[in-house]
Amino acid sequence: MRKGKGQFNFVWLFAIVAGGAILFLAIYGALRFGDSARFQSDTEVAKSIAIITDPLQVGFAEGSFGKISFQQETRINNVCFDNEFGKNDISVATRSGIGEEWNLPGGATSIHNKYIFSSGKSSGLDYYVFSKSFDFPYKVSDLIFLTPDNYCFVNAPDGVPGLNVPNIEVVNCSVADAVRVCFGTGDDCDVMVYGSCLSGCDSVYDEGIVVKDGVDMKYVGNLMYGAIFSDKGIYDCNIRRLLYRAGKIAEEFIDKADLMDARNCNTNLNADLIVWGVMVGNASVDDLSSLRTMTDVIDRKNAGEKLCGMW
Amino acid sequence: MRNVVRGQMKIQQMAVMIVAVFFFFVLVGLFFLGIVFKDVKGSAGDLQKEQAISSLKVIADMPELNYDSSWSMCVDEDKLRVMSGNFGRTYDLFWPVASVEVYRVYPKFDEVKKCPGVGCNYYEVFNNGQRDLKTYSSYVSICRKVRESGSTYDDCEIGKLVVGVKQASSAENR
Repeated sequence: MRKGKGQFNFVWLFAIVAGGAILFLAIYGALRFGDSARFQSDTEVAKSIAIITDPLQVGFAEGSFGKISFQQETRINNVCFDNEFGKNDISVATRSGIGEEWNLPGGATSIHNKYIFSSGKSSGLDYYVFSKSFDFPYKVSDLIFLTPDNYCFVNAPDGVPGLNVPNIEVVNCSVADAVRVCFGTGDDCDVMVYGSCLSGCDSVYDEGIVVKDGVDMKYVGNLMYGAIFSDKGIYDCNIRRLLYRAGKIAEEFIDKADLMDARNCNTNLNADLIVWGVMVGNASVDDLSSLRTMTDVIDRKNAGEKLCGMW
Repeated sequence: MRNVVRGQMKIQQMAVMIVAVFFFFVLVGLFFLGIVFKDVKGSAGDLQKEQAISSLKVIADMPELNYDSSWSMCVDEDKLRVMSGNFGRTYDLFWPVASVEVYRVYPKFDEVKKCPGVGCNYYEVFNNGQRDLKTYSSYVSICRKVRESGSTYDDCEIGKLVVGVKQASSAENR
Protein backbone atom coordinates (compact mmCIF):
# COMPACT_ATOMS: atom_id res chain seq x y z
CA MET A 1 0.00 0.00 0.00
CA ARG A 2 2.81 2.38 0.94
CA LYS A 3 4.63 1.46 -2.34
CA GLY A 4 1.50 2.30 -4.38
CA LYS A 5 1.18 5.68 -2.70
CA GLY A 6 4.88 6.33 -3.42
CA GLN A 7 4.40 5.46 -7.07
CA PHE A 8 1.33 7.69 -7.27
CA ASN A 9 3.33 10.63 -5.84
CA PHE A 10 6.23 9.98 -8.23
CA VAL A 11 3.89 9.93 -11.22
CA TRP A 12 2.41 13.24 -10.20
CA LEU A 13 5.85 14.70 -9.46
CA PHE A 14 7.08 13.59 -12.88
CA ALA A 15 4.02 14.99 -14.63
CA ILE A 16 4.30 18.32 -12.80
CA VAL A 17 8.03 18.70 -13.57
CA ALA A 18 7.67 17.67 -17.23
CA GLY A 19 4.45 19.67 -17.69
CA GLY A 20 6.06 22.70 -16.04
CA ALA A 21 9.06 22.41 -18.36
CA ILE A 22 6.80 22.24 -21.41
CA LEU A 23 4.73 25.18 -20.20
CA PHE A 24 7.88 27.17 -19.52
CA LEU A 25 9.24 26.42 -22.98
CA ALA A 26 5.88 27.30 -24.57
CA ILE A 27 5.65 30.64 -22.74
CA TYR A 28 9.32 31.41 -23.44
CA GLY A 29 8.85 30.52 -27.12
CA ALA A 30 5.70 32.65 -27.37
CA LEU A 31 7.48 35.64 -25.81
CA ARG A 32 10.49 35.22 -28.11
CA PHE A 33 8.19 34.89 -31.07
CA GLY A 34 6.33 38.03 -30.00
CA ASP A 35 9.67 39.88 -29.71
CA SER A 36 10.72 38.68 -33.17
CA ALA A 37 7.40 39.73 -34.70
CA ARG A 38 7.69 43.17 -33.05
CA PHE A 39 11.31 43.52 -34.19
CA GLN A 40 10.25 42.63 -37.72
CA SER A 41 7.38 45.10 -37.67
CA ASP A 42 9.55 47.93 -36.23
CA THR A 43 12.28 47.23 -38.80
CA GLU A 44 9.71 47.35 -41.61
CA VAL A 45 8.39 50.67 -40.31
CA ALA A 46 11.93 52.15 -40.22
CA LYS A 47 12.49 50.99 -43.81
CA SER A 48 9.11 52.40 -44.81
CA ILE A 49 10.05 55.81 -43.38
CA ALA A 50 13.07 55.81 -45.69
CA ILE A 51 10.82 55.00 -48.65
CA ILE A 52 7.89 57.29 -47.94
CA THR A 53 10.19 60.29 -47.62
CA ASP A 54 11.27 59.79 -51.27
CA PRO A 55 8.30 61.70 -52.75
CA LEU A 56 9.16 64.58 -50.42
CA GLN A 57 12.08 65.54 -52.64
CA VAL A 58 10.82 68.99 -53.51
CA GLY A 59 12.02 69.23 -57.13
CA PHE A 60 11.33 72.73 -58.31
CA ALA A 61 8.56 73.35 -55.76
CA GLU A 62 9.16 75.47 -52.68
CA GLY A 63 8.69 72.50 -50.43
CA SER A 64 6.35 69.66 -49.61
CA PHE A 65 4.97 67.92 -46.56
CA GLY A 66 3.36 64.69 -45.45
CA LYS A 67 2.04 63.00 -42.32
CA ILE A 68 2.94 59.59 -40.91
CA SER A 69 0.36 58.12 -38.54
CA PHE A 70 0.97 55.12 -36.28
CA GLN A 71 -1.65 52.99 -34.57
CA GLN A 72 0.22 53.09 -31.26
CA GLU A 73 2.67 55.52 -29.71
CA THR A 74 5.96 55.12 -31.52
CA ARG A 75 9.45 56.36 -30.90
CA ILE A 76 11.70 57.21 -33.85
CA ASN A 77 15.44 57.19 -33.14
CA ASN A 78 17.73 59.16 -35.42
CA VAL A 79 21.48 58.54 -35.17
CA CYS A 80 23.70 60.58 -37.47
CA PHE A 81 27.17 59.64 -38.75
CA ASP A 82 29.25 62.29 -40.51
CA ASN A 83 32.17 60.42 -42.04
CA GLU A 84 32.33 61.59 -45.68
CA PHE A 85 28.74 61.38 -47.06
CA GLY A 86 27.64 60.00 -43.70
CA LYS A 87 24.20 58.63 -42.98
CA ASN A 88 21.11 58.84 -40.80
CA ASP A 89 20.32 55.56 -39.04
CA ILE A 90 16.57 55.47 -38.42
CA SER A 91 15.08 52.92 -36.02
CA VAL A 92 11.63 52.56 -34.52
CA ALA A 93 10.47 51.39 -31.08
CA THR A 94 6.95 50.91 -29.77
CA ARG A 95 5.72 51.59 -26.24
CA SER A 96 5.93 48.59 -23.94
CA GLY A 97 3.05 47.46 -21.75
CA ILE A 98 5.30 45.85 -19.15
CA GLY A 99 8.75 46.54 -17.69
CA GLU A 100 10.69 49.21 -19.58
CA GLU A 101 8.71 52.16 -20.96
CA TRP A 102 9.87 51.44 -24.52
CA ASN A 103 10.60 48.14 -26.24
CA LEU A 104 14.01 47.64 -27.80
CA PRO A 105 14.05 49.30 -31.24
CA GLY A 106 13.89 47.26 -34.44
CA GLY A 107 16.74 47.07 -36.94
CA ALA A 108 18.03 50.47 -38.07
CA THR A 109 17.71 51.58 -41.69
CA SER A 110 20.74 53.50 -42.95
CA ILE A 111 19.90 56.43 -45.20
CA HIS A 112 22.94 57.83 -46.99
CA ASN A 113 21.32 60.12 -49.55
CA LYS A 114 18.95 62.06 -47.30
CA TYR A 115 19.38 64.55 -44.50
CA ILE A 116 16.80 63.95 -41.78
CA PHE A 117 16.56 66.64 -39.14
CA SER A 118 14.77 65.48 -36.00
CA SER A 119 15.41 64.91 -32.32
CA GLY A 120 17.65 61.97 -31.49
CA LYS A 121 14.60 60.36 -29.88
CA SER A 122 11.11 61.63 -30.62
CA SER A 123 7.86 59.91 -29.77
CA GLY A 124 4.24 60.32 -30.77
CA LEU A 125 1.30 58.93 -32.73
CA ASP A 126 1.43 61.34 -35.67
CA TYR A 127 4.63 62.59 -37.26
CA TYR A 128 4.79 65.51 -39.64
CA VAL A 129 7.41 65.40 -42.36
CA PHE A 130 8.23 68.31 -44.58
CA SER A 131 11.11 69.24 -46.79
CA LYS A 132 12.91 72.29 -48.10
CA SER A 133 15.64 72.62 -50.65
CA PHE A 134 19.23 73.45 -49.69
CA ASP A 135 21.03 75.48 -52.35
CA PHE A 136 24.64 76.45 -51.61
CA PRO A 137 24.84 78.09 -54.20
CA TYR A 138 23.75 75.21 -56.46
CA LYS A 139 21.26 72.64 -55.26
CA VAL A 140 22.93 70.25 -52.80
CA SER A 141 19.97 68.27 -51.49
CA ASP A 142 16.56 68.43 -49.93
CA LEU A 143 16.39 68.77 -46.17
CA ILE A 144 13.80 66.57 -44.47
CA PHE A 145 12.31 67.67 -41.16
CA LEU A 146 10.56 65.08 -39.00
CA THR A 147 8.68 65.99 -35.82
CA PRO A 148 5.68 64.77 -33.80
CA ASP A 149 5.36 68.09 -31.89
CA ASN A 150 3.14 71.09 -32.51
CA TYR A 151 4.90 74.40 -33.07
CA CYS A 152 3.86 78.00 -32.71
CA PHE A 153 5.92 80.51 -34.71
CA VAL A 154 5.73 83.91 -32.99
CA ASN A 155 6.57 87.07 -34.98
CA ALA A 156 7.54 84.91 -37.95
CA PRO A 157 8.49 86.87 -41.08
CA ASP A 158 6.46 86.45 -44.27
CA GLY A 159 7.09 83.18 -46.07
CA VAL A 160 8.04 81.23 -42.92
CA PRO A 161 7.54 78.31 -43.11
CA GLY A 162 5.85 78.95 -46.48
CA LEU A 163 3.89 75.68 -46.41
CA ASN A 164 0.60 74.93 -44.75
CA VAL A 165 2.17 72.38 -42.44
CA PRO A 166 -0.66 71.44 -40.03
CA ASN A 167 1.50 71.23 -36.90
CA ILE A 168 3.00 74.70 -37.35
CA GLU A 169 0.78 77.64 -36.44
CA VAL A 170 1.99 81.08 -37.43
CA VAL A 171 -1.00 83.29 -36.54
CA ASN A 172 -3.27 82.79 -33.48
CA CYS A 173 -1.43 79.99 -31.72
CA SER A 174 -4.21 77.88 -30.22
CA VAL A 175 -2.54 74.58 -29.25
CA ALA A 176 -1.64 74.70 -25.55
CA ASP A 177 1.40 72.43 -25.49
CA ALA A 178 2.98 73.76 -28.68
CA VAL A 179 6.70 74.53 -28.79
CA ARG A 180 6.94 78.33 -29.03
CA VAL A 181 9.49 79.52 -31.57
CA CYS A 182 10.03 83.28 -31.34
CA PHE A 183 11.60 85.32 -34.11
CA GLY A 184 13.55 88.19 -32.58
CA THR A 185 11.20 88.81 -29.62
CA GLY A 186 8.35 87.07 -27.83
CA ASP A 187 7.09 85.73 -24.49
CA ASP A 188 7.47 82.22 -23.04
CA CYS A 189 9.76 81.16 -25.87
CA ASP A 190 11.18 77.63 -26.03
CA VAL A 191 13.26 78.43 -29.10
CA MET A 192 14.64 81.83 -30.19
CA VAL A 193 15.62 82.73 -33.75
CA TYR A 194 17.90 85.75 -34.22
CA GLY A 195 18.39 86.93 -37.79
CA SER A 196 21.67 88.57 -38.74
CA CYS A 197 21.60 88.86 -42.52
CA LEU A 198 22.48 92.40 -43.56
CA SER A 199 23.34 92.24 -47.25
CA GLY A 200 22.38 90.16 -50.25
CA CYS A 201 19.35 88.66 -48.56
CA ASP A 202 15.56 88.69 -48.88
CA SER A 203 15.01 88.69 -45.12
CA VAL A 204 17.12 89.36 -42.05
CA TYR A 205 16.43 85.71 -41.11
CA ASP A 206 18.25 84.36 -44.19
CA GLU A 207 21.17 83.91 -41.82
CA GLY A 208 21.43 83.86 -38.05
CA ILE A 209 21.37 81.84 -34.87
CA VAL A 210 18.76 79.54 -33.36
CA VAL A 211 18.95 79.27 -29.56
CA LYS A 212 17.43 76.08 -28.20
CA ASP A 213 17.88 74.63 -24.70
CA GLY A 214 20.57 77.25 -24.10
CA VAL A 215 22.60 76.05 -27.11
CA ASP A 216 23.41 78.23 -30.13
CA MET A 217 23.02 76.79 -33.63
CA LYS A 218 24.22 78.89 -36.56
CA TYR A 219 22.25 78.61 -39.80
CA VAL A 220 21.90 79.96 -43.31
CA GLY A 221 18.77 79.77 -45.46
CA ASN A 222 16.51 76.77 -44.95
CA LEU A 223 18.90 75.23 -42.44
CA MET A 224 16.99 77.39 -39.94
CA TYR A 225 14.26 74.72 -39.87
CA GLY A 226 16.89 72.05 -39.26
CA ALA A 227 18.11 73.97 -36.20
CA ILE A 228 14.54 74.44 -34.92
CA PHE A 229 13.44 70.81 -35.32
CA SER A 230 16.57 68.85 -34.44
CA ASP A 231 19.08 68.38 -31.63
CA LYS A 232 22.44 70.13 -31.79
CA GLY A 233 24.24 66.82 -32.42
CA ILE A 234 22.01 65.78 -35.33
CA TYR A 235 22.09 69.33 -36.75
CA ASP A 236 25.90 69.69 -36.71
CA CYS A 237 26.34 66.18 -38.13
CA ASN A 238 23.91 66.75 -41.01
CA ILE A 239 25.55 70.12 -41.78
CA ARG A 240 28.97 68.44 -42.09
CA ARG A 241 27.43 65.81 -44.40
CA LEU A 242 25.78 68.49 -46.54
CA LEU A 243 28.95 70.56 -46.81
CA TYR A 244 30.98 67.48 -47.77
CA ARG A 245 28.45 66.72 -50.51
CA ALA A 246 28.51 70.36 -51.65
CA GLY A 247 32.29 69.99 -52.01
CA LYS A 248 31.90 66.80 -54.07
CA ILE A 249 29.35 68.46 -56.36
CA ALA A 250 31.83 71.33 -56.84
CA GLU A 251 34.45 68.76 -57.94
CA GLU A 252 31.94 67.32 -60.39
CA PHE A 253 31.20 70.79 -61.77
CA ILE A 254 34.94 71.32 -62.32
CA ASP A 255 35.09 68.14 -64.45
CA LYS A 256 31.85 69.12 -66.19
CA ALA A 257 33.33 72.53 -67.01
CA ASP A 258 36.25 70.79 -68.80
CA LEU A 259 33.79 68.80 -70.93
CA MET A 260 31.82 71.95 -71.74
CA ASP A 261 35.02 73.80 -72.64
CA ALA A 262 35.75 71.07 -75.21
CA ARG A 263 32.44 71.99 -76.90
CA ASN A 264 33.33 75.72 -76.95
CA CYS A 265 30.98 76.33 -74.07
CA ASN A 266 33.53 78.05 -71.87
CA THR A 267 32.90 79.07 -68.32
CA ASN A 268 34.91 81.35 -66.07
CA LEU A 269 33.84 79.56 -62.94
CA ASN A 270 36.58 76.94 -62.76
CA ALA A 271 38.98 78.84 -60.50
CA ASP A 272 36.16 79.79 -58.13
CA LEU A 273 34.85 76.24 -58.02
CA ILE A 274 38.28 74.81 -57.21
CA VAL A 275 38.68 77.16 -54.22
CA TRP A 276 35.03 76.70 -53.22
CA GLY A 277 35.24 72.89 -53.40
CA VAL A 278 38.23 72.75 -51.05
CA MET A 279 36.72 75.26 -48.62
CA VAL A 280 33.23 73.82 -48.39
CA GLY A 281 34.32 70.18 -48.35
CA ASN A 282 36.25 70.68 -45.11
CA ALA A 283 33.90 73.18 -43.49
CA SER A 284 31.72 72.89 -40.41
CA VAL A 285 28.69 74.68 -39.02
CA ASP A 286 30.86 77.55 -37.74
CA ASP A 287 31.90 78.42 -41.31
CA LEU A 288 28.35 78.74 -42.69
CA SER A 289 28.20 82.51 -42.47
CA SER A 290 31.51 83.17 -44.26
CA LEU A 291 30.67 80.52 -46.88
CA ARG A 292 27.32 82.17 -47.59
CA THR A 293 29.11 85.38 -48.62
CA MET A 294 31.15 83.35 -51.08
CA THR A 295 28.08 81.56 -52.46
CA ASP A 296 26.61 84.94 -53.39
CA VAL A 297 29.72 85.79 -55.40
CA ILE A 298 29.81 82.42 -57.21
CA ASP A 299 26.06 82.44 -57.87
CA ARG A 300 26.28 85.93 -59.41
CA LYS A 301 29.14 84.77 -61.63
CA ASN A 302 27.16 81.73 -62.76
CA ALA A 303 24.10 83.87 -63.49
CA GLY A 304 26.40 86.13 -65.54
CA GLU A 305 27.37 83.17 -67.71
CA LYS A 306 24.25 83.57 -69.80
CA LEU A 307 25.22 81.08 -72.45
CA CYS A 308 27.05 78.38 -70.57
CA GLY A 309 25.98 78.51 -66.95
CA MET A 310 26.87 75.52 -64.78
CA TRP A 311 23.59 75.26 -62.85
CA MET B 1 5.79 -6.48 -7.58
CA ARG B 2 2.91 -6.22 -10.06
CA ASN B 3 2.20 -2.67 -8.75
CA VAL B 4 5.82 -1.67 -9.35
CA VAL B 5 5.72 -2.93 -12.96
CA ARG B 6 2.37 -1.19 -13.55
CA GLY B 7 3.82 2.05 -12.08
CA GLN B 8 6.88 1.84 -14.29
CA MET B 9 4.64 1.23 -17.31
CA LYS B 10 2.59 4.31 -16.43
CA ILE B 11 5.73 6.42 -16.14
CA GLN B 12 6.99 5.16 -19.50
CA GLN B 13 3.62 5.79 -21.11
CA MET B 14 3.56 9.29 -19.69
CA ALA B 15 7.14 9.98 -20.77
CA VAL B 16 6.42 8.83 -24.31
CA MET B 17 3.23 10.89 -24.34
CA ILE B 18 5.03 14.00 -23.08
CA VAL B 19 7.79 13.61 -25.65
CA ALA B 20 5.19 13.08 -28.39
CA VAL B 21 3.22 16.14 -27.31
CA PHE B 22 6.46 18.13 -27.13
CA PHE B 23 7.48 17.13 -30.65
CA PHE B 24 3.99 17.84 -31.89
CA PHE B 25 4.17 21.42 -30.63
CA VAL B 26 7.73 21.79 -31.99
CA LEU B 27 6.52 20.70 -35.42
CA VAL B 28 3.52 23.02 -35.24
CA GLY B 29 5.88 25.84 -34.21
CA LEU B 30 8.28 25.12 -37.07
CA PHE B 31 5.41 25.05 -39.55
CA PHE B 32 4.15 28.38 -38.22
CA LEU B 33 7.66 29.90 -38.28
CA GLY B 34 8.06 28.75 -41.89
CA ILE B 35 4.91 30.64 -42.87
CA VAL B 36 5.98 33.71 -40.91
CA PHE B 37 9.51 33.82 -42.38
CA LYS B 38 8.14 33.36 -45.87
CA ASP B 39 6.09 36.45 -45.13
CA VAL B 40 9.24 38.27 -43.89
CA LYS B 41 11.01 37.55 -47.18
CA GLY B 42 7.92 38.71 -49.06
CA SER B 43 7.80 41.95 -47.04
CA ALA B 44 11.52 42.53 -47.62
CA GLY B 45 11.03 41.97 -51.35
CA ASP B 46 8.05 44.34 -51.45
CA LEU B 47 9.94 47.02 -49.56
CA GLN B 48 12.93 46.68 -51.89
CA LYS B 49 10.65 46.92 -54.90
CA GLU B 50 8.96 50.02 -53.48
CA GLN B 51 12.32 51.58 -52.71
CA ALA B 52 13.68 50.84 -56.19
CA ILE B 53 10.65 52.37 -57.89
CA SER B 54 10.67 55.50 -55.73
CA SER B 55 14.46 55.72 -56.12
CA LEU B 56 14.15 56.18 -59.88
CA LYS B 57 12.87 59.75 -59.53
CA VAL B 58 15.15 60.48 -56.57
CA ILE B 59 18.24 59.39 -58.51
CA ALA B 60 17.26 61.18 -61.74
CA ASP B 61 16.68 64.40 -59.77
CA MET B 62 19.87 64.20 -57.69
CA PRO B 63 22.09 67.25 -58.27
CA GLU B 64 24.92 64.86 -59.22
CA LEU B 65 22.96 63.73 -62.30
CA ASN B 66 20.20 66.26 -62.86
CA TYR B 67 20.51 68.57 -65.89
CA ASP B 68 18.64 71.51 -64.41
CA SER B 69 17.12 71.58 -60.94
CA SER B 70 13.85 72.89 -62.43
CA TRP B 71 13.61 69.94 -64.84
CA SER B 72 12.46 66.63 -63.41
CA MET B 73 13.57 63.26 -64.85
CA CYS B 74 16.22 64.92 -66.98
CA VAL B 75 19.87 63.89 -66.59
CA ASP B 76 22.98 65.78 -67.69
CA GLU B 77 25.15 63.89 -70.17
CA ASP B 78 28.31 65.66 -68.96
CA LYS B 79 27.54 64.65 -65.38
CA LEU B 80 26.90 61.08 -66.54
CA ARG B 81 30.37 61.00 -68.08
CA VAL B 82 31.94 62.34 -64.89
CA MET B 83 29.99 60.01 -62.59
CA SER B 84 30.67 56.92 -64.71
CA GLY B 85 34.41 57.61 -64.51
CA ASN B 86 36.78 57.45 -61.56
CA PHE B 87 35.04 60.31 -59.78
CA GLY B 88 31.92 58.17 -59.39
CA ARG B 89 33.82 55.67 -57.22
CA THR B 90 33.76 58.18 -54.35
CA TYR B 91 29.97 57.78 -54.31
CA ASP B 92 30.00 54.00 -53.86
CA LEU B 93 28.37 54.00 -50.41
CA PHE B 94 25.95 56.75 -51.29
CA TRP B 95 23.46 55.05 -53.59
CA PRO B 96 20.24 53.54 -52.17
CA VAL B 97 20.32 50.78 -54.83
CA ALA B 98 22.79 48.13 -56.06
CA SER B 99 23.28 49.50 -59.58
CA VAL B 100 22.54 52.64 -61.59
CA GLU B 101 22.76 52.63 -65.38
CA VAL B 102 21.58 54.99 -68.10
CA TYR B 103 20.96 53.79 -71.68
CA ARG B 104 20.41 55.80 -74.81
CA VAL B 105 17.19 54.48 -76.30
CA TYR B 106 17.39 56.00 -79.77
CA PRO B 107 18.76 55.07 -82.25
CA LYS B 108 17.97 51.44 -81.53
CA PHE B 109 21.07 49.40 -80.86
CA ASP B 110 21.90 45.70 -81.07
CA GLU B 111 25.01 45.78 -78.97
CA VAL B 112 25.54 47.49 -75.62
CA LYS B 113 28.60 49.73 -75.80
CA LYS B 114 29.88 51.40 -72.66
CA CYS B 115 30.48 55.16 -72.66
CA PRO B 116 32.62 57.11 -73.16
CA GLY B 117 33.47 55.94 -76.67
CA VAL B 118 32.42 56.28 -80.29
CA GLY B 119 28.85 55.07 -80.84
CA CYS B 120 28.42 54.28 -77.15
CA ASN B 121 24.94 53.85 -75.75
CA TYR B 122 25.30 53.03 -72.08
CA TYR B 123 26.65 54.72 -68.91
CA GLU B 124 27.39 52.62 -65.86
CA VAL B 125 27.14 55.13 -63.03
CA PHE B 126 27.36 52.59 -60.22
CA ASN B 127 27.49 48.85 -59.77
CA ASN B 128 28.33 47.25 -56.44
CA GLY B 129 29.04 43.90 -58.08
CA GLN B 130 26.05 42.01 -56.67
CA ARG B 131 24.57 39.29 -58.84
CA ASP B 132 20.93 38.37 -59.49
CA LEU B 133 19.76 41.95 -59.46
CA LYS B 134 16.16 42.77 -60.25
CA THR B 135 16.01 45.90 -62.37
CA TYR B 136 13.47 48.70 -62.60
CA SER B 137 13.56 51.44 -65.19
CA SER B 138 12.06 54.72 -66.22
CA TYR B 139 12.46 56.92 -69.28
CA VAL B 140 14.49 60.09 -68.82
CA SER B 141 15.82 62.87 -71.03
CA ILE B 142 19.59 63.00 -71.52
CA CYS B 143 20.62 66.58 -72.21
CA ARG B 144 23.74 68.63 -72.73
CA LYS B 145 24.39 72.25 -73.52
CA VAL B 146 25.73 72.89 -77.01
CA ARG B 147 27.10 76.15 -78.35
CA GLU B 148 26.81 76.88 -82.05
CA SER B 149 27.14 80.13 -84.00
CA GLY B 150 27.28 82.24 -80.86
CA SER B 151 24.18 80.82 -79.23
CA THR B 152 23.52 77.84 -77.00
CA TYR B 153 20.76 75.28 -76.97
CA ASP B 154 19.83 72.16 -75.00
CA ASP B 155 20.63 69.05 -77.02
CA CYS B 156 18.41 66.30 -75.60
CA GLU B 157 17.67 62.69 -76.46
CA ILE B 158 15.60 59.90 -74.96
CA GLY B 159 17.23 57.65 -72.41
CA LYS B 160 16.35 55.00 -69.90
CA LEU B 161 17.42 55.03 -66.26
CA VAL B 162 17.80 51.49 -64.91
CA VAL B 163 18.32 50.73 -61.21
CA GLY B 164 18.98 47.28 -59.80
CA VAL B 165 18.17 45.88 -56.38
CA LYS B 166 19.11 42.59 -54.78
CA GLN B 167 16.03 40.44 -55.02
CA ALA B 168 14.58 38.58 -52.05
CA SER B 169 14.17 34.90 -52.94
CA SER B 170 10.42 34.75 -52.37
CA ALA B 171 9.90 37.95 -54.31
CA GLU B 172 11.30 36.15 -57.35
CA ASN B 173 8.40 33.73 -57.27
CA ARG B 174 5.74 36.41 -57.11
